[in-house]
Amino acid sequence: MRRITRIATVGLASAALALSATACGGKNSSDASSSSSSSASGDAKAATAAIAYDIGGRGDQSFNDAAYAGLQKAETDLKIKGAEAEPTDGEGEADKVQRLTELARKGNNPVIGVGFAYAPAIKKVAPKFPETTFGIIDDTSVTGPNIANLVFNEEQGSYLAGVAAAKVSKTGTVGFIGGVEVPLIKKFEAGFTQGVKDTNPNAKVLSAYLTQPPNFDGFAKPDLGKAAAQGQLSAGGADVVYAAAGLAGSGAIEAAHAAGKWAIGVDSDQYNQAGLSKYKDKILTSVTKDVSDSVYNLIKSVKDGKPENGEIRYGLDKDGVGLSDSNPEYKKMADVIAAVEKAKADIISKKITVKTAP
Amino acid sequence: MELHGITKRFPGVVANKDIAITVRKGTVHALVGENGAGKSTLMKILYGMQKPDEGTIAIDGEQVSFTSPGDAIARGIGMVHQHFMLADNLTVLENVVLGGEKLYGIGAKARKKIREISDAYGLGVRPDALVEDLGVADRQRVEILKVLYRGARILILDEPTAVLVPQEVDALFDNLRELKSEGLTVIFISHKLGEVLKVADDITVIRRGTTVGTADPRNTTPKQLAELMVGAELPSPETRESTVTDIPMLTVAGLTVAQGGLAPVATEDTARTPESSDTFVHEPAAGGRLLLDDVNFTIHKGEILGIAGVEGNGQTELIEALMGMSSADAGVITLDGADITKSPVRKRREGGIGYIPEDRHRHGLLLESPLWENRILGHVTEAPNSKRGVLDLKAARKDTERIVREYDVRTPGIEVTAASLSGGNQQKLIVGREMSHNPKFLIAAHPTRGVDVGAQAQIWDAIREARREGLAVLLISADLDELIGLSDTLRVIYRGRLVADADPATVTPEELGTAMTGAASGHLEATDNRSAGTDAGADSPEDEAR
Amino acid sequence: MKKFDKDRLLLAFAGPALALVTAFVLTMIVLAATGVDPIDPLRIMVENAGYEDVQVLIVNQAGTYYLAALAVAIGFRMNLFNIGVDGQYRLAAMVSAVVGTAVTLPGPLHILLIVLVAMMVGAFWSGIAGVLKAKRGVSEVVSTIMLNAIATSLIAYLILPKNLGVQPEGSNDLNTGEIAQSGWFPAVDLGDGLEIYGFTFVAFALGIVYWFVLNRTRFGFDLRATGASESAAQASGVDAKKMIITSMLISGAVAGLAGMPVLLGESHTYSLSFPVGIGFTGITIALLGRNSPVGIFFAALLMAFIDKASASLDTAGYAKEIGTIMKGLIVIAVVVSYELVGRYGIRRQQQKVGEELAAGGAIKTDKEVAA
Repeated sequence: MRRITRIATVGLASAALALSATACGGKNSSDASSSSSSSASGDAKAATAAIAYDIGGRGDQSFNDAAYAGLQKAETDLKIKGAEAEPTDGEGEADKVQRLTELARKGNNPVIGVGFAYAPAIKKVAPKFPETTFGIIDDTSVTGPNIANLVFNEEQGSYLAGVAAAKVSKTGTVGFIGGVEVPLIKKFEAGFTQGVKDTNPNAKVLSAYLTQPPNFDGFAKPDLGKAAAQGQLSAGGADVVYAAAGLAGSGAIEAAHAAGKWAIGVDSDQYNQAGLSKYKDKILTSVTKDVSDSVYNLIKSVKDGKPENGEIRYGLDKDGVGLSDSNPEYKKMADVIAAVEKAKADIISKKITVKTAP
Repeated sequence: MELHGITKRFPGVVANKDIAITVRKGTVHALVGENGAGKSTLMKILYGMQKPDEGTIAIDGEQVSFTSPGDAIARGIGMVHQHFMLADNLTVLENVVLGGEKLYGIGAKARKKIREISDAYGLGVRPDALVEDLGVADRQRVEILKVLYRGARILILDEPTAVLVPQEVDALFDNLRELKSEGLTVIFISHKLGEVLKVADDITVIRRGTTVGTADPRNTTPKQLAELMVGAELPSPETRESTVTDIPMLTVAGLTVAQGGLAPVATEDTARTPESSDTFVHEPAAGGRLLLDDVNFTIHKGEILGIAGVEGNGQTELIEALMGMSSADAGVITLDGADITKSPVRKRREGGIGYIPEDRHRHGLLLESPLWENRILGHVTEAPNSKRGVLDLKAARKDTERIVREYDVRTPGIEVTAASLSGGNQQKLIVGREMSHNPKFLIAAHPTRGVDVGAQAQIWDAIREARREGLAVLLISADLDELIGLSDTLRVIYRGRLVADADPATVTPEELGTAMTGAASGHLEATDNRSAGTDAGADSPEDEAR
Repeated sequence: MKKFDKDRLLLAFAGPALALVTAFVLTMIVLAATGVDPIDPLRIMVENAGYEDVQVLIVNQAGTYYLAALAVAIGFRMNLFNIGVDGQYRLAAMVSAVVGTAVTLPGPLHILLIVLVAMMVGAFWSGIAGVLKAKRGVSEVVSTIMLNAIATSLIAYLILPKNLGVQPEGSNDLNTGEIAQSGWFPAVDLGDGLEIYGFTFVAFALGIVYWFVLNRTRFGFDLRATGASESAAQASGVDAKKMIITSMLISGAVAGLAGMPVLLGESHTYSLSFPVGIGFTGITIALLGRNSPVGIFFAALLMAFIDKASASLDTAGYAKEIGTIMKGLIVIAVVVSYELVGRYGIRRQQQKVGEELAAGGAIKTDKEVAA
């Protein structure tokens, strides 16, 4: 499968020149490893699963880390080996195609693309490896017999956050901070706003996005989240802020803590996050999005020989999204909990349909 | 102070070889030599900026060795550089104490000390004046004071008169005599021989990096000194017969340029402004100040019109307006019957204007490009450099070789960069280039500045020759001898206006100097029209040889 | 004369060689200092570059980089620092994708239209900086950086579904819709689904055009002269303002092409995950390649090699940021070593000229012949 061409090697002369010392040694072993990798794909005994991260990679304390947690859980519970691959900044579709191809070729099954950016690449790669299951998170636009689309009803979880925020707010003004203005985050905003308005029609929702794509700083830089939250809390008069902004959201939580106002976390239960323990008493609750379970489930299904495929939607009904209640303060708010529980029941029973776009 | 056997080698070149100078205490000792003779290297050694490879320096009989200017200052040696090192936006006091704060503090004590020095040597420096308000001569006095403030007993002055008009030079010499009488020693570097003879007690001549002789100013003529300096007969700039015709080539009528009248062109103008203030009476550059005020003149075919003036009185603006680098706010420029007032630079160059810029590094050359590319510069649209928008490298290279040959540009080849040539050879290349396109009108701004004597003569020859063939020349120079010697007609520019005219046949440098300071105007001499130059020079033969 | 040419050629190589060796050595030191095997990651990278699929990635990426670097180099030759290539190519790709989707034309015309639109948009965007510089003296560094940010916001706005964008059913991505097949640039198929974008060859061909225009035309001479000395160029008859605007326009037009290999050869749409940052890599490459078309070619290949060969380092247990460190070190090393080599070159030449003249090596001049 992997051939070594001579033509292009010539083109690489300049690079090889600088590396001539190591280049000589490299040639032999590149032959060796290419054969070993192809043999590995053939008769691999231990099942392996691979995830390809989205921008930010492992360590983003959010989306990618959640996927990694799922893989870790699978490694311990299912005794499989996990492989990971990270993107480089500013890469294109071709790089993603190459990454998925390589992961699939090495015999990993399933191969999971974390994030919608992998959709075009999976569309190209999946047909070439019909035996491999490909998972993609947050996308249903690419479909195929061996593609599992893992999607979440973020708007439902956010709706509950909106209910809680409206109940807790004394000023009647709450804030929403989106990391990067992409459709995915718009879903959070839509659900949250609807939840607030349904609970208190007179309440005001302040919305802010930290950056516009392709600048993804809004998911990464806490100072941006902090500044936006400070604006909403002081000048805007909000007393609850909900930040759907990945790592940048921790800045918003810090600002809320400093102002003595409530913050609502996102993705995982941020009350229990070690990095935020200083501010946890002001983290009212978090909208959870169980990426890790979805990853784990997909790996498990493949291992069990009944691979998932098609759209696998995680909503409130499956606890794929939800609202955490680790904060003892929150637990004491009986009326808030009651309202949230009622809203949850209404959504599950389809009495309430939550919009996915503001 | 005694120097013995000073030798300094730079890789491949010996800059100083076996130099021996004895400077007597309490005298003005002049060091003369051509550009590139090794004066500056010697001064750098004296001032501790460079270490000699061989030889000894002794001060008051005690052998010394300097590793930095700091050591030299500690031994009482001070240097006044040719280019002033003053901060314009600070006062005199601040400039003087800058870096010498420990000596007398920065307050009243320092001010008192400055006054003391100023009075002792008749420098007339006001400690609280802003440097930017001072004229060139005043700035120079501040530089001298700065050195004295640091306790110098031996002063090195590097070409101090280059920026001064004759009257200011006299004032400077008075200062030097004052210093001398107080027991200080002055080492005076110059290549203006008349001045050297006037002020020096002893003269040492340097040629090709070594001392070739000493002269006693009381019984030496400038000519003898010059011959000692050059090692050959001295060329003279005198123009022989008049070739002036009555066909006007360039006519300038009512040319006016106001400051701020046009948007500054990139870095160009801004870099110039500090210098372009008037020498004596500084006027803050208010918007709309006239840099050129109703300038009128006509240059005929075969005529050289010389413009005298202290730098910064509108010469640069005049050149830029004539070249089209800046546009005139009023007035008409006519070249050979065609109105070129609105033409861009390239059109004017194509129309037959040649340009020897005053600052060849900034305006005449691409220093890091090979000679043949420099030959294309300014004439990229003309044969042989290009055809229909595409460069003809072969022809351009060939023609560069021709220029190198005909104009005696000393270079190992045409692929070397312009920066690797000496100033004189760079200038010869420029002259050759400009002459290669048969100009009708040539702007020659300081054509021999920073050029050695040999190249000087060749450049003069080239200009004279072209003039004989009907070239009209505008000559702008700070060298009054050059102006008087070459020009058919002389004008004096002062604060943007042509205030006086003179006949080069009869006018003296001193008279010109008076007009340059604005003290005289109108016609400077009883009229006697264009019998240019016949009585000015005695030595002639080499001029006609070519 | 040959001697000077050889010298210059040698020095031209010495700069990049010194920079690269320094950068690689420094990388190894960094690796060793952090307790990582300094050789193995580099070995893996070279090994990776031996694989055909990685090679295709490298070549395709190099084509894209080449265009971006040419755009930067045009500015550099004129002493203009076009930092805005990044915004220019993204905006150009976005707008041309929209236009390309909206129309259907016969193959070559369709592609030509997309390419022309991209060039025009890129030129327009950089032209703003050019006009600001020429008319108002605004530093192009500042204005192009700001235009990058504005381009980002503008694209984010335009790509909203209510404006020009589309959100495909079930996707969280936004794009501009897919360009009809007539607007796909034919690729060189190497089998196994490996393709070299056809536009990559256009990119390299543009290098020849770049060389010719700069070195063999009046316009190129004026441009280089202005870059070498603005004052001298002005005195020589170059209209500096016009030159600033013209060169910014050309730089922007070439920058507009930088998105074309991917748009026409791979994605056929502009989406949120369209490659970013190519313009900035282009600056590094132009620097490393000393603005020469051949130098840029090798520099682009090298950068693409580092990018692609380091991408899978993490699967081998090394941080793939080693590649980023390497790129950063190359930039520093390039700046320092070129300065050193440049100074040395000038000094050396002055010396040699002095020596040759002293040894009587000058061209015989008329004067001497006569004597």
